[in-house]
Amino acid sequence: MWKYEKKLEYPVRIKRPDPAAAKIIITQFGGPDGELGAAMRYLSQRYTAPTPEVKALLNDIGTEELSHMEMICAIVYQLTRNLTPKEIKASGFDAYFVDHTTGLYPVQASGYPFSADIFQSTGDPIADLSEDMGAEQKARVTYDNILRLVDDPDVRDVIKFLREREIVHFQRFGEALRLVTDRLDAKNFYAYNLSFDVKKA
Amino acid sequence: MSDREKLLKKVRMYHFAVTDAALFLDTHPDCAQALAFYNKYKKLLKEAEDAYEHAYGPLQICSSANDSRWEWVDGPFPWELAANS
Repeated sequence: MWKYEKKLEYPVRIKRPDPAAAKIIITQFGGPDGELGAAMRYLSQRYTAPTPEVKALLNDIGTEELSHMEMICAIVYQLTRNLTPKEIKASGFDAYFVDHTTGLYPVQASGYPFSADIFQSTGDPIADLSEDMGAEQKARVTYDNILRLVDDPDVRDVIKFLREREIVHFQRFGEALRLVTDRLDAKNFYAYNLSFDVKKA
Repeated sequence: MSDREKLLKKVRMYHFAVTDAALFLDTHPDCAQALAFYNKYKKLLKEAEDAYEHAYGPLQICSSANDSRWEWVDGPFPWELAANS
């Protein structure tokens, strides 16, 4: 169960609309390393997590990712307000606009719609947590690339906050992986799946 | 920055401290220092939320307590520029 907090985790206040930037940034809504995929990944994996710490962490990072998805959508929403058809055409936002107007729909920057194909839930904590660490790094790279392409300080400020969170989550998942491996056979972490197999005495 | 935004900034700041500390505590549930940090900011968060909600309306649906109007529907909504300036 969830409760909505009627505020953003970090403020989004973009003074100047820029549909070309929106077209790039929307990839962190529906793209392969975006916030929607991150939330779905962790909230799906949490059920079979082997220890209470890992269950809590997947639950809480998955929840934070929902608030990051909301911030990305707020950026795109504010970047695409008050546009004229001329601006829409000139910026290349027309291909998105024709299907969605300025509604928020989860797509990659290339226009490909959100797909669960971009993440896994294997039921094996080493595999899942290793994917989660990789996912945080991939999202950090996407934010690095957005910072290479976008000049507006109002947008960059929010993107830098989200980028920092990827680094913190990576650290926490690293600690979670350590908690898991500490409970496994020190000579062979892969001798059994802590979430499925019963350990032989 | 409006008075409303100043108060909301405090709420966001304390909420962030609590959110970040919670993730650390998930992997360090017995860390006394982190627990003290969490409890300190949880208290400050509650005070800031109460002050904000008293003046500007509910941040959570359960805080909607007015007898004459369901204030939860009143904007601005968080993703709107007006809610952040």
